[in-house]
Amino acid sequence: MGEFVTVADAAEVGEGELAAFEVGGERIAVANVGGTLHAFDDTCTHLRCSLAEGELEGTVVTCPCHGSQFDVTSGEVLRGPASEPVQSYAARVENEALQVAI
Amino acid sequence: MGASLAGGTAAATLREEGFEGRLILVGEEPYVPYERPPLSKEYLRGEVTFDRALVRTADFYAEQEIETRLGVRAVRVEPAERIVELADGERLLFDKALIATGARNRRPAIPSLDLEGVFDLRTVDDADRIRTEALPGRKAVVVGMGFIGSEVAASLRQLGVEVAVVAPGSVPLERVLGEEVGGVLAEIHREHGVEFHFGDSADAFEGSGHVERVVTAAGERIECDFAVIGVGVEPAVELAAGTGIEVDNGIVVDEFCRTSVEGIYAAGDVANHYHPVFERRIRVEHWDNALKQGPAAARNMLGKDEPYEEIHWFWSDQYDTNLQYAGFHTSWDELVVRGSLERRSFVAFYCTEGRVLAAVAVNRGKDLRRSIPLIKARRPVKPAKLRDPDVDLRTLA
Repeated sequence: MGEFVTVADAAEVGEGELAAFEVGGERIAVANVGGTLHAFDDTCTHLRCSLAEGELEGTVVTCPCHGSQFDVTSGEVLRGPASEPVQSYAARVENEALQVAI
Repeated sequence: MGASLAGGTAAATLREEGFEGRLILVGEEPYVPYERPPLSKEYLRGEVTFDRALVRTADFYAEQEIETRLGVRAVRVEPAERIVELADGERLLFDKALIATGARNRRPAIPSLDLEGVFDLRTVDDADRIRTEALPGRKAVVVGMGFIGSEVAASLRQLGVEVAVVAPGSVPLERVLGEEVGGVLAEIHREHGVEFHFGDSADAFEGSGHVERVVTAAGERIECDFAVIGVGVEPAVELAAGTGIEVDNGIVVDEFCRTSVEGIYAAGDVANHYHPVFERRIRVEHWDNALKQGPAAARNMLGKDEPYEEIHWFWSDQYDTNLQYAGFHTSWDELVVRGSLERRSFVAFYCTEGRVLAAVAVNRGKDLRRSIPLIKARRPVKPAKLRDPDVDLRTLA
């Protein structure tokens, strides 16, 4: 795991919300599930849509284009058409800053 | 029967749910089950390989002790003797059977349909044949502008092929989506250089050995290097003939995927299933239904008694436009649009007597997903609320 880097104010991702940030040249999505933050690759492994533009229900994110579902806590595929998981990353709030380790 | 998405997922589900008996998957194509959506899109354009389309890896079936009979069709079912007969004469005994034979392409009664260079698209072999012809600068005629015609036209343009379309109606997908939404798609195709011949049909293919032109009912002669026909499908029901299994626009099943013959089930494109939400039978020719109804049938084969009542959903990608549809409608009295047709970012609701029967979204996947509970609820909703972007669709169900 890499170093934690600040990507935004923690307030930018409210409870139940998703957002995407550019971190070290990568698009990283962050999901806020009941106050806990989960970071993962924003790019769907199926056909490269942005997962942050999809729907977050509990710990499940649904791709806005083709309905693939991933577990935001692990990146695991829960439902196709995607077959490959998305990479997940550690995320935390430090002094009201949202930090991701990639 | 049917090494299809429905058949493959049903077999996998039977094992996942603990079925330990003998399990045989029979398929007419020589391949383990694969998904067809890429065939008109990313696979046709050469962007992904075939293995990406497999429902499960080829090893999966052996590992799960699922016997396969591939490249051989099931031709007959004998319900009384509990026997399925294959085209090569093999006779398989069964306690329970699933018919997941899918659909086959309609072949219009047109002279010279068998000329070389005249294709239709259902299988990976069909897609491979089209790919070898789809070289930049060549000219294609696409006949029909349903989902297959629309996606093939888009993919061919993306490959640099010149595309002329011959289709009934006045816009793509008119029968399903209506003139307003179809009009948006027509504009997108025109911007990408597709030449339309709407309100017309193909009368004949001409050429010496290989197709050289399509002659239309209106008398146009459209020169081409190859042609692709996409004029719909019909359910593959032949093996039900003479079995007592009720057939009416497919194999008729109830909400538990049961046919009229005890112990025989059907799922996927072939199954005309009773849908508890819409209170009628519907037959669906889309990926998501096959993916979910196969497993639903498998669970009911194991006695789970779970009604299948998914709200049907599908997508279609054309160029960089993502279209999605959920629900079921055949007619509607009001089309309510949230968003903008002009900006190609909207969800449109097909409503009858104030209830949302179905929704179609263009580049608005999240809204489409949020519309599904609303469709399932079958409650009247005020059009103003559907239209208002400040009203969260999730609150309307």
